[in-house]
Amino acid sequence: MPQGYWCLVLHNHLPYVRHPEYEDFLEEDWFYEAMTETYIPLIYIMENFLKDNVDFRITMSLTPPLCNMMEDKLLQDRYYTKLSKLIELAEKETWRLHNQEPFFSTAKMYEQKFKLCMQIYEKYHRNILTAYRNLLNTGKVEIITCNGTHGFLPLMSSDRVRKAQIRIAVKDYEIKFGKPPRGIWLAECAYSYGIDKILKENGIQYFFIEAHGILYGEPRPRYGVFAPIYTPNGVAVFARDMETAHQVWSADVGYPGDPDYREFYRDVGYDLEYEYIKPYLHKDGVRRNVGIKYYRVTGKVGLDKKEPYNPKWAQQKAAIHAGNFMFNREHQIRYLRNIFDREPIVVSMYDAELFGHWWFEGPDFLNYLFRKICFDQDVFKPILPTEYLEKYPKNQVLQPSASSWGDKGYYEVWLNGSNDWIYRHLHKCEELMCAAVDTYHPQIDELKKRVLNQLARELLLAQSSDWAFIMTTGTMVEYAQKRTKEHITNFLTLYHQLKENRIDNNFLSWLEYKNNIFPHLEYTIYL
Amino acid sequence: MDKNSPTSGTITSKMEQRKEVVPQITDLPVSYGDTKIVLLPRDPWWCFTYWEIGEQTKQEIKNLYGENVRTILRVYDVTNVENFDGKNANKYFDIAINLQTNNWYINLPETNRSWCVDLGIITAEGKFVTVVRSNTVIMPRFGVSPLTDSQWAVLQREFERLLELSGIQMIGKGSFDIAKLMKERWEELLAISQVSGFVSSGFVSSFRQPEKQQIVAKEFYLKADTELIVYGETLPNAKLYIFNEVYNLLPDGKFSVRMNLPDGVKEIPIKAVSADESMQQQIVFTITRKSEKNSV
Repeated sequence: MPQGYWCLVLHNHLPYVRHPEYEDFLEEDWFYEAMTETYIPLIYIMENFLKDNVDFRITMSLTPPLCNMMEDKLLQDRYYTKLSKLIELAEKETWRLHNQEPFFSTAKMYEQKFKLCMQIYEKYHRNILTAYRNLLNTGKVEIITCNGTHGFLPLMSSDRVRKAQIRIAVKDYEIKFGKPPRGIWLAECAYSYGIDKILKENGIQYFFIEAHGILYGEPRPRYGVFAPIYTPNGVAVFARDMETAHQVWSADVGYPGDPDYREFYRDVGYDLEYEYIKPYLHKDGVRRNVGIKYYRVTGKVGLDKKEPYNPKWAQQKAAIHAGNFMFNREHQIRYLRNIFDREPIVVSMYDAELFGHWWFEGPDFLNYLFRKICFDQDVFKPILPTEYLEKYPKNQVLQPSASSWGDKGYYEVWLNGSNDWIYRHLHKCEELMCAAVDTYHPQIDELKKRVLNQLARELLLAQSSDWAFIMTTGTMVEYAQKRTKEHITNFLTLYHQLKENRIDNNFLSWLEYKNNIFPHLEYTIYL
Repeated sequence: MDKNSPTSGTITSKMEQRKEVVPQITDLPVSYGDTKIVLLPRDPWWCFTYWEIGEQTKQEIKNLYGENVRTILRVYDVTNVENFDGKNANKYFDIAINLQTNNWYINLPETNRSWCVDLGIITAEGKFVTVVRSNTVIMPRFGVSPLTDSQWAVLQREFERLLELSGIQMIGKGSFDIAKLMKERWEELLAISQVSGFVSSGFVSSFRQPEKQQIVAKEFYLKADTELIVYGETLPNAKLYIFNEVYNLLPDGKFSVRMNLPDGVKEIPIKAVSADESMQQQIVFTITRKSEKNSV
């Protein structure tokens, strides 16, 4: 009998970035890099758990924009080309370094990793959603959804448009996974009063929240963050455990900064001779990261003082860190069990892209961790939120506090001097969207229906919280501003064409081709 | 930053646009012709409000009350007030604004309350008239609730221990965002790297970027920011310009303007012109804010 449970939640998300109008587009790299470094490696380790009978549990939110990108033919083909090029470079590198240890082992490692990636990609005929569907059906992995375009719900103008974000998410999930989602990851864990009611209406059973969402809840939470609660509308809420967050994230005690781990910032895109590396850069020929890195973190030294990476040492370190993480959970859960009258649940929530993209050895860490948890201890077990709710259907009812998991814990990251200008425009489009639906529904012809559907797509894309986030962080700002303005301009132009009864079919078709998220979308989500 | 800097996604703008099909992204409308005010919560202490006054409304105000009116935001505490009608608020406070701005961050005097804002005018006779009213906002909670659950009771001492175990001391101290960790590492690397050859810039393709200015530390922290208040007086019938924009004087000729004061050098020209426009005086403040962060 375990003394408690550990629930790992990985939030997989990227904004919808897809530019058919360009041959080569820098920001699409976010998706390609995450495929190679995070999504496919995680699929690989989970499939091996199944093969090796490792009793694991992972809750994964796959956001609708990400699912739509994974299923998009253009991006699938572009990723295939990218990965092929990367394999070509890795092969050249193993040849170039063939008697230069320790670089050779590292080059070989990349070649193998990339080839394995391709193997998995081809196994699923370039659509890795199939892999997730299989995993979902094993019962070991719970896939949940997220707000339609990762829109920041608390800062929207009405429940009607918040509802549309949830409705499209549920619909998209049903199409992709063949059943309704049981849980949701609220974008940025952003919660405000009344959102739970919308979730309830859409059949969502649970969501996640930042620690103070429950700690500041009313009345006082009996078990702190170590048990779910129900909102007054009957939706279960799980809160983030800060100790496990800190252990992985913290700059000084966190794992990813270990000297043996790979150094992210020393990339062959900068190191190798220009003519040699040029074919693997973007068409503009600017040196950027290409994804092959031969050095390790080393310590607090400059980039020129980094020492060569040693894959074996890194693996050993990932195993040690997994052991340490497990030990700390045993200790934590044993302690909690002693002071509680029931088994506690510790919920660890991370951005999936941490594992592999930023922390190169992250997937290995998870691999060791679940194997150790399964075979080396019996203090706690991994669990899915729904499994815990089945075990403990009776939970305290409280009103969670409005909050987010962003810096400072509320909404400031998405509402400050760098991005507050977007809301008057977003709110206007939200108002016009509802007005258009009220005016033209239900006696509507095919052309107007297409217009309303595309208006909805443009609004949803404009609402992505990613744009406001990027404006705050100060890098890639231009792109985020452009995207916000682009979708709002598209929306307003199309709206006026509709209103003045002069719909430009070419313009409409162009938008349908370019901003094609949710091919099945129906404007009735705004009813 | 060297010219090969890959800092941002500007590759898109360098690429040749296929102009014949790509609709041009234009600047967004300056106004939508509405008269409205919207209130949004930022955190337990601050609200953001934006507004717009339509031309017709402006004209009506002028016709009814003349030009000599002051505009204010009246911020009402409407906690537990049903059917707020402008008169039944728990309390309120005013913020003088001018209509050259169209948004404001409101610092609230109390946490865990609900608020609503009127954009209104004070007539020459000193009467307040609402022009437009905002939505009501229930602020995000700050601090633990005083209420305990009879069915799920927890003793005070036990609760305090539980808060500690739940990591209450870490609330709001950073999101543990991927990129934040990476950004800190990048800055550290920049500081200690001798050879700049490798280093053009960090974020080539990051998923999520960290905050520009990290003012929150690990266990101990200090948060600070600055605002600036410019005040003074002139003849009540004079015209006052700040940044070349007209500001309405209080009836006694006084004025007071509060503004954000970020890092950098800011010049604030203040000019008064006499009613007959025969005389004018100007004062220019040059204000430098420089932040230095030290931790020991």
